[in-house]
Amino acid sequence: MSHSVEYDPKEAWNGGQSPFRLSYGKIFMWFFLISDALTFGGLLSAYGFIRHKYSDVWPKAENVFTHFPFVHEHIPLAYVGLMTFILIMSSVTMVLAVEAGHRNYKRGVLIWMFWTIIGGLAFVGSQAWEWYHFIEGTDVGAVRWVWDPETSHYIQKTIFGANMTVNEYGAPQFANFFFFITGFHGTHVFSGVVINFVIFMNALMGTYERRGHYEMVEKVGLYWHFVDLVWVFVFTFFYLL
Amino acid sequence: MEFHDDYPEYEKMATHDEVAGKKLRRTLWNVFWIMLVITIGELVVGFIAPGKGWTGSIYLKVFFISFTIAKAAYIVMIFMHLGHEVKFFKFTVLLPYITFMLYCIFICLTEGTYSGKPANRTPIDQILVKQQEKLRESKHHGGEHETVAEPAAEHH
Repeated sequence: MSHSVEYDPKEAWNGGQSPFRLSYGKIFMWFFLISDALTFGGLLSAYGFIRHKYSDVWPKAENVFTHFPFVHEHIPLAYVGLMTFILIMSSVTMVLAVEAGHRNYKRGVLIWMFWTIIGGLAFVGSQAWEWYHFIEGTDVGAVRWVWDPETSHYIQKTIFGANMTVNEYGAPQFANFFFFITGFHGTHVFSGVVINFVIFMNALMGTYERRGHYEMVEKVGLYWHFVDLVWVFVFTFFYLL
Repeated sequence: MEFHDDYPEYEKMATHDEVAGKKLRRTLWNVFWIMLVITIGELVVGFIAPGKGWTGSIYLKVFFISFTIAKAAYIVMIFMHLGHEVKFFKFTVLLPYITFMLYCIFICLTEGTYSGKPANRTPIDQILVKQQEKLRESKHHGGEHETVAEPAAEHH
């Protein structure tokens, strides 16, 4: 990185310049990401805590997420592997857009941001598909004691799939955490796609060309990489461990 | 540069020429391949683990978590560019986060004993407990879920 002003760590805190050599916007994007990362860290810690408390009835991911589009065989974990690939790939295209921005190369920024948006949409769609199959469940279902409001008793009933109260595959807490954490992450991905689209349109209309730099692409890139970062942890704790 | 805001020069986005860009792009693609290989390796291990009885073993946990942290470090240091920022800024970002998370994990593990006692659990459907026991005994994995769906006669 070539900086136009020489940086002397001893002089950095004497005022008159940013001691971090970063703009206001980028520093505060980082601070926002720290607070958001603490939220996800707390959620995943709570997940680990409850998982060990109910370890005898906790479902195994390879028994739950076995579907793959257009394939009738059960292939555990293949689809989530594909989702992870899509998100890592879109993170790479984002960082390539930032790199093109460093060279003030508008065409490069537009092309790579376009692929980032496509990758984000593909990921959100995949997550919706995964939710659909988790909610639908298997053809066979599983028998549980379910509260029957008509007779005011618990009755034995075959249930299919998972929701916030019952889970065909194991402890209902698994479904609660799955819906909450992947839902919260999916909301981040979706808002990231929307923000990426706004920045893409700005770049298309030449806003950053007139401004002389593509720093907004770098800021939104930080957010997008954070979304990928969270998914790396969600992937490990929900699907692998 | 007719944009209205008046950043000092050092706060402007750093720029680089085509030669530096080429070098950076090679680094970025290398990181991508490393992360792809790690992810595929994790999936392969996750795929064969149940058959070998590795599921839940401490080695498997250490394996997955250490590779996850390696991937996270690549994302934060290379993609998010934190590795090339000023030292002060690295510490400003990483130290509070790592401290708080280590404390959170520590306090969950040490002070979680009250909630962790079996008597303090939310009552679990006994059918579910039996099904899970049978599932563990049968050692069927991956799509063999339907073998356990038999009604049990015990009351709640």
